[in-house]
Amino acid sequence: MNLSIQIGNLKLKNPVTVASGTFGHAEEYYDSEEVKKLGAIVPKTVTLHAREGNPPPRIIETASGMINAIGIENPGADVFIKEKLPFLRKIGVPVIVSILGHTDEEFTALIRKFNATHGVSALELNLSCPNLKNKTLVAQDPEATFRIMKMAKTVSNVPVIAKLSPNVTDITSIALAAESAGADAVSLVNTFVAMAIDIKTRTSILGNITGGLSGPAIKPIALSMVYQTAKKIRIPIIAMGGIATTKDALEFLIAGASVVAVGTFNFVNPRAPLEILNGIKEYMREHKVKNIKEIIGSIGHKHETR
Amino acid sequence: MPKIQNKFRIISNKKVCQRFHRLCLDAKAIAKNVRPGQFIHIRVSDGITPLFRRPFSVFRARKGIEILYETVGRGTEILASRKSGEYLDVLGPLGNSFSMPPKGTRRVVMIGGGVGVAPMLALSDALAKKGYELVLLYGARTKGHIFKMDEFKKNGCKVFIATNDGSVGVKGYVSKLFSKIETNPQSTVVYTCGPHPMLAAVKQFVLENNLRCEVSCEEVMACGLGACLGCSIKTTDGYRTTCHDGPVFDINKIIF
Repeated sequence: MNLSIQIGNLKLKNPVTVASGTFGHAEEYYDSEEVKKLGAIVPKTVTLHAREGNPPPRIIETASGMINAIGIENPGADVFIKEKLPFLRKIGVPVIVSILGHTDEEFTALIRKFNATHGVSALELNLSCPNLKNKTLVAQDPEATFRIMKMAKTVSNVPVIAKLSPNVTDITSIALAAESAGADAVSLVNTFVAMAIDIKTRTSILGNITGGLSGPAIKPIALSMVYQTAKKIRIPIIAMGGIATTKDALEFLIAGASVVAVGTFNFVNPRAPLEILNGIKEYMREHKVKNIKEIIGSIGHKHETR
Repeated sequence: MPKIQNKFRIISNKKVCQRFHRLCLDAKAIAKNVRPGQFIHIRVSDGITPLFRRPFSVFRARKGIEILYETVGRGTEILASRKSGEYLDVLGPLGNSFSMPPKGTRRVVMIGGGVGVAPMLALSDALAKKGYELVLLYGARTKGHIFKMDEFKKNGCKVFIATNDGSVGVKGYVSKLFSKIETNPQSTVVYTCGPHPMLAAVKQFVLENNLRCEVSCEEVMACGLGACLGCSIKTTDGYRTTCHDGPVFDINKIIF
């Protein structure tokens, strides 16, 4: 059974990973023996300088989902490289580091720092965090997406992935911009801008006023965005958006994703990524699928088969 | 510290007063390792509504793990409907724990507000028969929140109760009972858990009297493991996660 996936020159042994921001820096997750089985790990987004994050409350539970406005709390790239990366490297799974620059120069500086370290298999550019009070996200602008990806590809020694926002009119145009700038893959989707109001105080519950919706509630929308995007681009898609079960993951693969990432559901069931990996293998056995690529993008249309 | 995620059988799940339930889980593996002040993170039902696990302070850890909980929303209502013999997905033990009283301590005062009294039984279990004078000040809204305090008493606690409406004990907030606290900073330590206004009052009292005090904090949590950074609270050291850096903090470090 072949489950391996290629992203640029990076080979993942299987198509199951975690979404950035939902796995901490992996050390929080209790069994690194289990973490070893994943295709890759993606720690929480790192910025050039430390960020203390947004004021609490930072999360709200919603119907089958959650809204978060953490605000990219992280210790900054230097501390991350010194204190977190050695542990991540030791796990022995490809580490895809999610980075966020507030300017083009910060992105360049971040990429140079990671070029100078060992043990980073790929970089994911977080172009789509909705919680930083930016008027426009990079991933809401095809030209900015193209410009930053082009620069990143020029500087980076490792494959570069663009993490895209669903808060756009047409996500495929952003994915195309990333692809034409040389991106090795695209990740979609980040969270949907959302909010909740306390009717007693008539104020927004989140300290940041708005946040990003994630979890099973967004899965059908994310699935449709992956499906639309897969029809337009040739580079691999790393899909995330409410994946909680094997069935969810298979739907994304069938829609055209090459890799599936468990996000919010890690908080509910830390073993979900491994259960999903086992579930995919079982599905392949049951359907006599030898290579995962036979599933990827295999969606047919009912009217064609009738 | 080994964290365990597993399904554990419900031994019993009973109402102990109008507002509170007591759940006992056949979770020896967790009970063996848990320290007072730590919590367990329970998935009240399979499926995706409610989505999050619910964190509960450990009330007692003997043969199994016990929690005391108030039915306040959908999560705890579902939990209250779960029957003995059924299984619950539990992650734990999580978080840090109360530190044991420093040398020279003679008197330990525990202040619980509402269901915040829960970790105090586990604490008094650990401190019983160690020669401390144990005092529990318990503040509740009404008699619907009053349950049998026998287990505290068996641990040697002197129990004082205040209710907002005066239906049991002294009428008023738990701060009405602060006069019961001996204020010698060399020999008295305070542990507390409860709603924010109560904690703010406790903080003021211990500041004025220069007493050591640890507080167990409660926030909405997602992961419970320090990964999502969703339950962070403001402290004098910056934002700290309630689930992983806490739930127990020096009360002077918390910015209410």
